[in-house]
This record gives sequence, structure tokens and C-alpha cells, in this order.
Amino acid sequence: MLEKYLPLAIILAFAVFIGFFVVILGTIFGPRRPTERKSAPYESGMIPYGPGTRRMNVSYYLVAVLFILFDIEIVFVLPWAVIFRELGVPGLVLMGIFLVVLEVAFVYAWKKGALEWE
Amino acid sequence: MDGAMILEWVIKSIFLILVMTGGFAYVTLYERKVLARIQVRIGPNRAGPFGVLQPVADGIKLIFKEELVPAKADKLIFTLAPVLTVIPALIITAVVPWGTEVTLFGRTIKLYLADINIAVLYLMAVTSISIYGIALAGWSSNNKYATLGGLRATAQMISYELALGFAMIVPVMMAGSMSLVDIVESQKPVWFVFVQPLAFLIYFIAALAEINRSPFDMPEAEQELTAGYHTEYSGMKFALFFMAEYIKMIAISMIGSSLFLGGYRGPFVDQLPALGPLYLFIKVAIVLFVIIWIRATLPRIRYDRLMQFGWKVLFPLALLNVFVTGVVLILVGG
Amino acid sequence: MSVEKPVVSLADLCSRYEGLLVPDERQGFEGYLISPDHLISFCRSLRDDVGYDYLSSVTGVDNFPAEQMEVVYHFYRTTGGPSFNLKLQVSRHNPVVPSLVPLYPGADFQEREAWDLLGIRFEGHPDLRRIMMWEGFEGFPLRKDWREPFFEDEAKPFKSRWPDGQVIRSEDQNPYKNNVRYPNDFDPEQWTPVGDDALYKGMLNLSQNIQSEFKTDQIVVNLGPQHPSTHGVFRMVVVLEGETVLSLKPVMGYLHRNHEKIGERNTFLQNMPFTDRLDYISSMSNNFGYALAVEKLMGIRPPERAEYIRVMMAELTRFLNHIFSIGFLLNDLGAFFTPALYAIEERELILDVFEAVSGSRMMCNYFRFGGVARDLPDGVLEKIKELVNDRLPRKLEEFERYLTKNDLVRIRCEGVGVLSPEEAIALSAAGPILRASGVPYDVRRADPYSIYDRFDFDVAYGLHGDIYDRYLVRVEEMRQSLRILKQVVRDIPEGPIMSGKPQYQARVPPGEAYGRVEGPKGELGFYVVSNGKPNPWRYHVRAPSFINLTSLATMAKNQKIADVVAILGSIDIVLGEVDR
Repeated sequence: MLEKYLPLAIILAFAVFIGFFVVILGTIFGPRRPTERKSAPYESGMIPYGPGTRRMNVSYYLVAVLFILFDIEIVFVLPWAVIFRELGVPGLVLMGIFLVVLEVAFVYAWKKGALEWE
Repeated sequence: MDGAMILEWVIKSIFLILVMTGGFAYVTLYERKVLARIQVRIGPNRAGPFGVLQPVADGIKLIFKEELVPAKADKLIFTLAPVLTVIPALIITAVVPWGTEVTLFGRTIKLYLADINIAVLYLMAVTSISIYGIALAGWSSNNKYATLGGLRATAQMISYELALGFAMIVPVMMAGSMSLVDIVESQKPVWFVFVQPLAFLIYFIAALAEINRSPFDMPEAEQELTAGYHTEYSGMKFALFFMAEYIKMIAISMIGSSLFLGGYRGPFVDQLPALGPLYLFIKVAIVLFVIIWIRATLPRIRYDRLMQFGWKVLFPLALLNVFVTGVVLILVGG
Repeated sequence: MSVEKPVVSLADLCSRYEGLLVPDERQGFEGYLISPDHLISFCRSLRDDVGYDYLSSVTGVDNFPAEQMEVVYHFYRTTGGPSFNLKLQVSRHNPVVPSLVPLYPGADFQEREAWDLLGIRFEGHPDLRRIMMWEGFEGFPLRKDWREPFFEDEAKPFKSRWPDGQVIRSEDQNPYKNNVRYPNDFDPEQWTPVGDDALYKGMLNLSQNIQSEFKTDQIVVNLGPQHPSTHGVFRMVVVLEGETVLSLKPVMGYLHRNHEKIGERNTFLQNMPFTDRLDYISSMSNNFGYALAVEKLMGIRPPERAEYIRVMMAELTRFLNHIFSIGFLLNDLGAFFTPALYAIEERELILDVFEAVSGSRMMCNYFRFGGVARDLPDGVLEKIKELVNDRLPRKLEEFERYLTKNDLVRIRCEGVGVLSPEEAIALSAAGPILRASGVPYDVRRADPYSIYDRFDFDVAYGLHGDIYDRYLVRVEEMRQSLRILKQVVRDIPEGPIMSGKPQYQARVPPGEAYGRVEGPKGELGFYVVSNGKPNPWRYHVRAPSFINLTSLATMAKNQKIADVVAILGSIDIVLGEVDR
């Protein structure tokens, strides 16, 4: 059974190889003469004020939290999608209830303003 | 399982990776040529006839470029991020079939690397992983543009991944299988795009957003964030991001063709299976042309509007589409 | 927009200030002199009671022989009419005058420029920093006793250049660094901008009082000078919270070459090609403004045919500038060069005409005092007719079809970067910016120059003052330009193209003149003072790109970062003119 996944392992190995190979290629052939100005972070030619990474707008993280919620929903819907014909109407009703429960949360988040970017 | 089988897989893997990397090189040329034609220009025509050696020249130039690492960057993550971005792009098409099977040197060779029964799930999983590289690249650069670009990219990609996921569920329902070979084969009577145009549209829009192509190329919006998450990258590390973006373009064209446009299917493909890859190639080229055409035509949507569109329009629509499809298929018995 | 009848007439106001307001009685000068103590109260009455609500230009003149520093103001009514000139004379050694920024916010950058280049201190200016020169610079370069590093002679033509028929360059005689003056203990290799920290901190403090539920770091981001979408080396310091712009300050001067100082070294005629280098997209308009100013001084007018040719060139320039700017506005919105390249195609056709008449596509140098340099060559008029009657209207129609109703364009442009009519006037915005805000003020109508009073055309204006209206105003102006051009090619007479003999050395009597035209980017003014010598004593450019930037901060406040770029694109700046 698992042997079906072996090709994927093989191509993954090749992909990892290619990725690192390209990076190493650049390291070998590219010159490397860093200076202080060259290795300063780029900010349109000005010296940056303050650190580059810091606390960012909370909306980005809200999106991440919401995403987890609904991505799991997809994972539950997928198996149902394969065999929903066999499950028939009862399966459909159950899936409907599941979706409605989740969508209540979605509507709540919407009304609460989590999807606003203002 | 035997040694010959493993050798076949190895050869097919190498072949697939070569096709994707070579395809990447020539998609850049294809894009530049098409853009130039749309914009009343000629496009690259100096390196070789019709500029066919242009990608080679670009590649060689990038190899010999100096690579800069910003002083306060997290060096390990900074180096790993482009690799992490390119790996998912290279492996995602492993489950896409190129054809049924052909006989070569007296051996029956299946024209796909892996036919797994959870292929669609595999696609979604790999898509999710590809976000890591971009988020980490933005974060590790210690650059304001890159951080903002990386965050934008992450938020945008995960938002549209939901719609993308639901759009991909529809062909699964129609075919009753998650295997892409089964999905393509069940489009024998009619392509899914004709039955489910809405799902295809959602897939196409979400996929454009997923790979940060115009008009959703927000993370690398040149006009405000210079180059977004890969601002600090140069040389071959930059080339990896570039490569990932174009390979992803090919990948979503291949996946979209397989899910909705009949994949390798076309006239006489049952009699002559070797036609399969050719049909797939033509379909991919057409989808790529549309992607490039859109880039040449549309201005960019603003970021807040983009997010709202993803969450408030595309996601509910995709969800509803899945459920209605289910209801119709069960009640009508499709 | 103050359409109401002025409460007091100008004469009344002047008589009220009898004794304090002295007419300028020097030969060739006009306007009034006032003492610094009464400037503010007089200007308040001038603005509120008499209706001179538009401060077009603020500049200084170094009256070196008289040991005086003169500040010159040009006021206009947005309802039309000629200018009101006001002058202040203060001691050259400590020139302090009250700032007009509280009354006319549009004086902001112009006063900073006068401080930077002439050392006139404006009391009460909220942010009197150098604007063109860098923070470590010493001295005030436009003063007559300031000498540049490669100084040779007070005025051109330099006698030192060809002593024995052989060219000698001052750079060769005087190697680099021997003549560059730095402040004490200054090392150019180690220097980091000193003023920046204070600028950033000031901006952060200003925006600190905004409270939000979650604490987010406010980020100071520099957009520019090395940035793909600032149309050149222009810099915007932006305070961001998430994607929203809390405050913005433009920083410029990276392309500064002291145009005015060089212009004062040049002879009058040598400045004509030099004006091409201001707004290099529309050099014909620049020529026009400068020619008008000097002709006013000389008291001559060009012959009929030359006037028609001038208007023709100016309107073609307006068309090419607007179509170019719309193309690049779309680029700023993220369209990948296609609209811009389509626009450039039309622009090239107009540049063909320019090349045919002047020999050059961009740096035309076509106007002369009292006419134009050459007559139209054979066939050019036919080509212009074909462009005006067929090609350009057709292409404009095509542009409109693609863009005007385009949903993405409208979503991105409507309601973004709004400037109210009151703000637009107060901030001395000019050209399409002013008109898009609902002020139908066009110099061609309000204060007609050349032969514009003969033509039928409408002044385009918008109602909302957003990016979309600026776009619409530009489209409509192109249509009106074509309308004028149709009349020009119909009516153009035969005849001479120069009044009098062409001269290499214009004889300009002493005096002052302010020549202004409605350039494609707004009111382009040239303030020229002559003392009877072959070189202008003062040569000042009222650059519309530069002064329109005063309103950028107002427009960009509380907009999204992506929109800032579009707003900048909608102002349509050319850095050659901003920095001069």
C-alpha cells in the first residue's frame, strides 16, 4: 500500500537536491565582497529607522486563526465528497448540519469585524 | 516492487523535474514575448534566434551574481526560505497524469509518476507548505518591505486557499474519487468546466491569488513594496523564488487542466495514448497565455479589497457551490 | 471656492493701508511694498475681504547692491483676473519676515525653498528646514555673493573658456575637492543624514495619539529615493499602522542642480534651452512661459503666425503630457506597462512633429523672444492636421473606452486622495489637481495670454477632487486641446515668425516680469528680474510639480499605502521640475 507513495519520496529527494544545489551553485560562482553599506537592509536607499521586524497589524493574525478553522472544515468535507453518493440523503443532511454550525462561526466573525481591513 | 520499477520512478522523477525547470525557463521567455506583443513591442530577440537563448543567458548571469545577506538577517532561515519555496513547487505536479500508458522499449510505462488515491488532498497539502518559504523569507530579511510583503503574502495565500480547496472538491464529487487519473478519466463524456463553470472560475481566481499573480500580485507589489518578500534576495536565491513562481504557474495550469479541462484527454487519445502529453501541453499553454494576458491587462486590486473579496465573496460562494452540487447530484442522481 | 463678491475693493484696501503700503516705483517694476509688521494683517484682509485667495508664488530676490533682501508674493483670485504683487524689503544681513503659511498653507514649500537658497527666515513657519540642499550644507547658494565650487566668472559667456581659441575647462584647472567647501570636521564618506532622526521622531509623535484596541507598532517607512514608483529620486517618509498611512512627509532635492543659479549666470537666450530641462516631458510649455516673461520685459509681441505656432505646440504638449501621465497612473495602479506603452505610441507621433519643427524630440528649444526659431517645414501642418482630426481623437476615444468605465480603475480611484476645493486653493494646487477639486481655474481663461482669448474651449473641472476626477479632467483637457488645435490649424495665417531680426543677445531693459502659462501640470510661472545687463538678475521658476506636492500630505492621510503611490501618480510630477 505504502509503496504507492514511494515515487513521491523519490521526487521529493530530487527536489530537495535541486533546491540546495542551486543555492550552492550561487555560493560557489558568485563573488562575495560584503561591505557595511551593501549588507544594510534595503529601504529605498535610506538608513532604516528602527528594526525591520516588529509587531504588525493584528488583522493578519486574525486571518491566520480563521484560516485554521476553515481549513479543517475542508479536510472534513473532502472524504465526504468522495463517498457522498453512497451516504445519500442522510450524509447530506449531516454534512449540512456540520457546515451550518461552522458557518455560524463565520458569520459571527464577519459581523464582529474580523474581516475588515480598515 | 522490483528494481526496474524503482529505476522507472527515478527516471520519471528526473524527467519531471527537468521538464518543470526547463519549462520555467521557457515560460519566462513565453511571458516576455506575449507581453511584448500585447504592448506593441518586440521582446527579447538578441540571444539566439527569436531570443530562445535568453533564459540561458539570464540563468548564467544570475549564477555569477553576488549574493547579499542583510546584516541582521537570520542567516539560516534566510538561506532555507528559497529552498522551502521551490521544493513544493517542484513536487506538486507529481500526481498529475500526462496520459494513460505507452509502450516504450517493450515495457508498458504509465505516463504519471504517482497515482495515489488522495491526490487532491496531496495537492492541498503541498500548496499549504509552499506558504512557509514566503512567510519565512519575509520575516528573516529584517527589512520592512519584506516583512510587510511576507505578511501580506501569507494572509492572502491562506485566505484564498480556502476557496481553492472548495473549488477542488467539486471535481472530486463529480468523479467520486480523489485520484487525478480517475478525475481525468471521468471527464471522458464531458469536461467538468462545462458542468461546473463556477467552480472552474473560483479555482482560477483563487489559484492566481495563491501564486501571487496579477491582479493579485500584492505581496510583490512593485509600486509600493519594491519587491515584497524577496526584496533582499539576490543571485541564485532570488532565482529560486523566481523559479518557484513560474513553476507554480505551470503547476496550476496543469492541475486546472486536469481537474476541469479534461487533462490529457482529447480526440483519438484512447487509440494513441502518446497524444496525451501533447494535449496536456496545449491546454497548459492556453491557460498560461490567459494568465499572462491578465497580467498585461489588469491593474492591481488594493490589498484590503482583495482580502475582503476572498473572504466575503469567493469563500462563501465556493462553499455554497460544493453544497448545492451535493444536493443536486444526490437528488437528481448525476 | 469663494464666488461671493469681495467685500472690499482692492483700491479701498490699499487706501486703508495708506502710508504702510508703498507702490513700487522703480523703473519697470510694479506692485506694492509693505513692511513686515503689517504683512499678516494685510494679507488676511486681502484674502478674506478682497478675494485674493490664491497665493501663486513666493520667492526672494537678493538685492545685493542695495544690501536688501526682497520677498516677492504673487496673489491671484481664483475667479480670474491679473495678479497682485506684494513685496517686502528687509536687511540682507538678517532677513526675517513673517510666514504666510498660517494664511496660505501653499506657501509652505516655497518659503522653505526661499530659506534654503536665499537664507530668508520665515518667522512662524511650522517646519522651516532645508528643502533642496542637504542638511549639512553651509551657505545660501542663490545669494549673489555665494560662489559654486567650480566658479569661473559672474556671468556667461565665460571669458576664461576660450582665451586663445582653445577650450579650458575649470574642472581641469581646479581638481575635485580642492574647491568644495564642507563644514568643519565633516567627512563625506562617513556622513549620515543628521536631520532624519528628528524628522522620523517628529512624525511618530504627531501620530501617536491615535488609539486602537490592539497595540500595533507604528512603522516609519521610506518610500524612495531609490524606489520604483516615485517617478524618480523622490522620497516620501511614511508612518504606517498596518496598511494605513498615518502621516506622510515628502523629501526632495535629490536632483537639485540649482537651476536658478545657473539661469542667473546664463544670458537671457541661453536660458531658453535650459527651461527644456525643467519638465522634460513638456519642454514646449516651459519655453512658452519663459518667452512670455522676457517678452513682457522687452515689451514685444510675436507676429500672428508665431502666436498660432506657439499655441499649437503648447496644446500638442498638453495632449502628450496628459496621455503619458494617464498611462503611468495606470502603471502606478499596478497595470503592467500596457496602458503606458499604448500612451507612448501616441506620444511618439507628437514627438515626430516636434522633431520636424525644432530638430529635437524632447529638448525642443523652439521658442525665441518675439517668435519661434523656425517656421513649420513643408508637410508638417498636414501631419498635424491628420493627427488632430483623425488619429488622436480616435485613440483618445479608445483610451476612454478601456479605462473610464473600467471597474478596477474606478474601485482604485474613486474617493481616494480627496482634496476639497478649499484645501486645493489654500494649498496653491494648480492645474488638473485644482480643477478636479471643483475650482474651474485655468490661466488660459482666467488671465488669458498669447491668443487664447480667440479660441473656443471649455475649462474641464471635476466635482469630487479624487484620483478619478483628476483622470477625467485630464481626458477632458485632452479633448479641449484637440478642439483648440482644430481651430488653430484652420485659422493659422501665413506671415513672418519673428518680430524684428533674430538676435543672439536679447537686449532686456531693467524691470521685473512674471510670465505664467497654464502648463500641462499646472500654472507654470517664470519670475524674471533684469538690471539691463545681458544676464537676468533673478530667474525664478514657479514649478507646478513642486508646489502641487504641498498637498500630497493632505491627500495621503489615512489612505492605504497602495493608494499613496496612485495619489502621487495622479499629481503627475516630473522630478526635473520638482527639484530644479
